[in-house]
Amino acid sequence: MADKSFPEARVFSPNTRFHALARRPGGVSRSQAIAGAQARIDEMQPEFGGWLNAEINALVEVVKCLKSGASEPAWIDRALFHSNQLRDVGTTMGFELVSYVANTLSMILDRIKAGADFNLASITCHMDALALVRQESYRHLRPDQVPELLNGLHQIAESVSIVPASGQK
Amino acid sequence: MTERTINLRDLSILIADPSPYLRTLLQGMLRGFGAGKMIEAKDAAEVLQALGKHRIDVLLCDGALPGDGGFVLTRRIRRESGNEHRTMPILLMTSDPRETIVKEGRDAGANMVVAKPLSPGNLYDRLAWVAFNPRQYIDTEGYFGPDRRFKNVGGPDGIGRRRGDAIESVKKTGRAPAQDKIDKVFNATSNGRK
Repeated sequence: MADKSFPEARVFSPNTRFHALARRPGGVSRSQAIAGAQARIDEMQPEFGGWLNAEINALVEVVKCLKSGASEPAWIDRALFHSNQLRDVGTTMGFELVSYVANTLSMILDRIKAGADFNLASITCHMDALALVRQESYRHLRPDQVPELLNGLHQIAESVSIVPASGQK
Repeated sequence: MTERTINLRDLSILIADPSPYLRTLLQGMLRGFGAGKMIEAKDAAEVLQALGKHRIDVLLCDGALPGDGGFVLTRRIRRESGNEHRTMPILLMTSDPRETIVKEGRDAGANMVVAKPLSPGNLYDRLAWVAFNPRQYIDTEGYFGPDRRFKNVGGPDGIGRRRGDAIESVKKTGRAPAQDKIDKVFNATSNGRK
């Protein structure tokens, strides 16, 4: 006999347009899709350098304000916006090292936002690393080709006191 | 065997992410997959606005979307009983593939969690997975969404045996290593684990 304290679950199969239409014949195969998507990504490549510089410059401006003590309270959200963009876009555009450096910077900023002690040096180190990886000779390298840089950034990230995980996802 | 294909031509895809560059990049990737109609949203409010105005067939949403975040937004869409988009497939994107975060996405009602940074192969595989492995929906007092105990049908097409795969660059292989961890969480329930 069913326990009345546990209401029964309704189980059903929804007929969504996505499931109906995505499985129609005449679609795109995985290899065609990847080639098509990669072609679109390649079309964006000529402008990527300019975008990368603009994003790093925006971060530099935030840090300049921090150094001069003239930063506004929302500086961390501004910094996170640019850092997260670099992290999320770099690898997709073929620049893994950019994503890698931005990822540890975002980690530090997330921790500061969640209450960790503010440590300007940990941020400026990452700015130096970004200045390095924006250079043509560095940006195409994979993270495993610059282990010293990675170890250094990791140590810096670890030094920012860890607080319980925030709601950042 | 014939290669499986996905047909996104007449589908409306809502791309929700705070980064304008990433939204453009995603649009480009989806156009490469054959998608025709895409709408962009930069925050949770714009997602709700778009859902009110358009018939959206699939939502690709950042987990840390400004506003309440993609996880809360997913839960909200799933919980609203009169919402015509209640059963729409939702793919949550996250740059934090920790197991707790991925489980949170699954428990919010996401059909799949996709690791950032995205690659064309990874995104295509997850869309194909959702399209070809439709799950029953569960409606209970505490949860509305895809059955979290979904059947293990193996990895998406094009993906080899995960644990043995060498980790190569995303550009070369078309997949992000972090996605492996996410897929394990989504598959764990089929083996009786949660």
